[in-house]
Amino acid sequence: MLVTMLIVLPLFFAFIVLLPSVKTRNVLTIAFVMILAGLSVTIATSFSDGTQIIIPHAMHNLFILIDAIVLLYFLYEGVIKKHSLVIIFAVIQIVLYAVVLYLPTTLGSYDIFVDTLTSTMYLVINIVGGLIIIYALEYIQSEAFSVFKKNAFIALLFFFLAVMNFIVSANNIEIFFLLFELTTLCSFILISYRQDKTSINNALSALWVNQMGGVAILVALIMSITHYNTLYFDKLLLHIESFYMLPLLLLAVAALIKGASIPFDKWLLGAMVAPTPVSAILHSATMVKIAPYLIIRLSESMNEFVSLGITLLGSFVFFSASLLALSKDYLKEILGLSTIALLALMMSLAAIGTPEAVDAALLLIVFHAISKALLFLQVGILEKLFNLKYVSNINNLINDAPLVVFFIIVGFASLSLPPFAAFVGKLIAFELVIEKIVDNPLYVFSLIFMALGSVFLTLLYFKLLTKLLAKDSDKKRTKVIEISKFYTVPSFILVVLLMVGIYINYDMKLLSDLEIMIPLLLIVLLFIAFFKLLFKNAHRVKEYHCGEKDEVVLSMYYFELPSFWEKMIKFITLIAIVFLFIGVLS
Amino acid sequence: MIEIVLIILAPFIGGLLYGFERVLRARMQNRVGPPLLQPFYDMAKLMDKQAFIINPTHALLGIFHFLTLWFVVALLILGENLLYIIFLHLFSTLLIILAGFSVNSIFSHIGANRELLVLLAYEPILIMIAAGFYILNGTFEITTIREQSMAIFPLFLLFLAFILIMPIKLKKSPFDAAEAHQEIVGGVEVEYSGVFFEFLYMAKWLEYIFIYLLLLLFAGNNILLGIVLFITLFLLLNLVDNATARVKVQDLLKIVLVIGILLSFTNLIGLYYV
Repeated sequence: MLVTMLIVLPLFFAFIVLLPSVKTRNVLTIAFVMILAGLSVTIATSFSDGTQIIIPHAMHNLFILIDAIVLLYFLYEGVIKKHSLVIIFAVIQIVLYAVVLYLPTTLGSYDIFVDTLTSTMYLVINIVGGLIIIYALEYIQSEAFSVFKKNAFIALLFFFLAVMNFIVSANNIEIFFLLFELTTLCSFILISYRQDKTSINNALSALWVNQMGGVAILVALIMSITHYNTLYFDKLLLHIESFYMLPLLLLAVAALIKGASIPFDKWLLGAMVAPTPVSAILHSATMVKIAPYLIIRLSESMNEFVSLGITLLGSFVFFSASLLALSKDYLKEILGLSTIALLALMMSLAAIGTPEAVDAALLLIVFHAISKALLFLQVGILEKLFNLKYVSNINNLINDAPLVVFFIIVGFASLSLPPFAAFVGKLIAFELVIEKIVDNPLYVFSLIFMALGSVFLTLLYFKLLTKLLAKDSDKKRTKVIEISKFYTVPSFILVVLLMVGIYINYDMKLLSDLEIMIPLLLIVLLFIAFFKLLFKNAHRVKEYHCGEKDEVVLSMYYFELPSFWEKMIKFITLIAIVFLFIGVLS
Repeated sequence: MIEIVLIILAPFIGGLLYGFERVLRARMQNRVGPPLLQPFYDMAKLMDKQAFIINPTHALLGIFHFLTLWFVVALLILGENLLYIIFLHLFSTLLIILAGFSVNSIFSHIGANRELLVLLAYEPILIMIAAGFYILNGTFEITTIREQSMAIFPLFLLFLAFILIMPIKLKKSPFDAAEAHQEIVGGVEVEYSGVFFEFLYMAKWLEYIFIYLLLLLFAGNNILLGIVLFITLFLLLNLVDNATARVKVQDLLKIVLVIGILLSFTNLIGLYYV
């Protein structure tokens, strides 16, 4: 019952927020978000493992109708915008979908299945996603669009939450495909929201890349039906045999595409032309999180080869995306690449498939979502209020916007430092991969990539932080910019959620007490000292310039990767995927 | 109990080590050198100086660099999780790098930048070493690692990789580009003076303790081997420091990463087959 409400309610909410005036819309949205968050918490806490729901037959027909409309809409967009790839993939999908509908199956099961994994995903989607919607209320208000279009933006975000809530509970692969396409549709509309040339182009490229994922799912579905006589995840995973892993691999590839794993990364980086709440919601609570979720679902039935292959590929992508991010200057692009990197890490962890690995991957999913949401919200504030898009333009920010700097520091610190939960996830990831080396020496590659990648990522975060802290010795606060409550309150709540993560580490004994206390103590001390300890008695002096009288302008360092290597990375990942297919086929 | 005493005394032991090293290096160059307690005399003198700061953040980050490093050493002495300690150590290094960038000074920036680059070189290798110990003992807990028999033979190539990165952390030639006194006037240290420099000075001593305690892990429960390793490496590092010229930071990165990763890779693969 609660589950159905969680899926259906956001749809109603989406319709309701279309109508009212700004003020009622804001109040209603906040109330709706609270309802959704409350529901997800109720399900997560009062939950008996394995709720199963069968959707009545009439609804199935409705789904088929929606699916047909969506696919035709994609075809229509492709024809109108004259994008041949979109057209091709739309046609392929329509044909394949018709084949799926034609094929009979006998092995039935439940359409909706809710377990701990799903209820955890509910928490991420509804709480983090909800906070982003609240933030979006103010953000979209400051854009120059018509009232209806603004309300439609909020409505679309609610619709996205509904689709996400449904997709993580789907056990029927046919329904999963429909929802997969709906998330593609949502992201397509949201990315092209501004309707300028770049937006439309990037939206189209997001569309065709994600359509490839749809094709992969459909092919997997056809194979599953012909070979295993079922279109349900649980039956497929139960009956799948080691010598015919192809459907599973295809589903995994669909996950890689949704997760914007290299070489499919272009679409996610293109998505940053959209209003910032879109990036925030795509990167943290929705869309890309389908990827690790799906891999976790599949991992229990993967054979040794597929599991190893995805782990190796994932850790390689983790390494390369972090490396690529080091040369970037555009804030959103940096965050985007770090999302790609961390998603790849989650996928490689999930592919290992032991209970500990799944737990660590979940920990990363949840707390990466919170940290990334927090960071993207700040990026949006910087763009809107301070007109800052590039790292190299940031100067004296700590005087102008100390609160934003604080949130950014917390965001980055929570991704890379103890005692935060994402750090613990990483620590466990290392432990698990090292454990695996004992079984198979190939995991050493994975370890090396993870070690290098995590150092690169830390470098990346602190490269940004150095820029935030940079200030002249005697420059005072120049301008005071009021930051709206709609911006700050969600950010504060996200920080509180990160603290909950620390408590979880303590509660589940993931770190020893000492290992939690020491960094906490340091952070608290540093925080207090930052405001209290001003060294009033010390004399202020200018920097030492060796007698030279030079103006110093702080600039950033970049590790530009030659384009040959960028191509090489793409090539290697492609080869790896091809190799996976060859290995599974033979 | 003895652990607590050791933790409290750690900076002083480090200072003694540092003082002794200066004597040793001087003797290698046929000089008399400073007295053994010279570092402590330096400290007393620094304490007397007037306090100068550029800005509070800068001073604060220096102090916290020292504090964090002390906690790192404390955890190492108490025998906690090795991988965790390596990451906490990373945090302490990052604090000093942030400090380097928080002032508008060329030398401080160059120093901090180089500090970042060398971090890129040694950090992955530290993680690999932790991995080696885990494969050998099935745990990252240092208390357990210390109880096992010596790890130096099964982890010999990792041990060599560790020797390769020791000079980086101890700021010794040929891998001392991050500090490079004659070239960038001490890098991140340059803007610290008086009592604030003291914290940086002590942090340097703690870094000695950190590195040599890691070295002792390779000896396991064999105390004699531990002493031999410590003395040999102490002499070797100072000899190399005296005998070699500074390597450019880009070359340092290439040399250490390529050789270090190859060594650790071979060792980890080897552990599987043995």
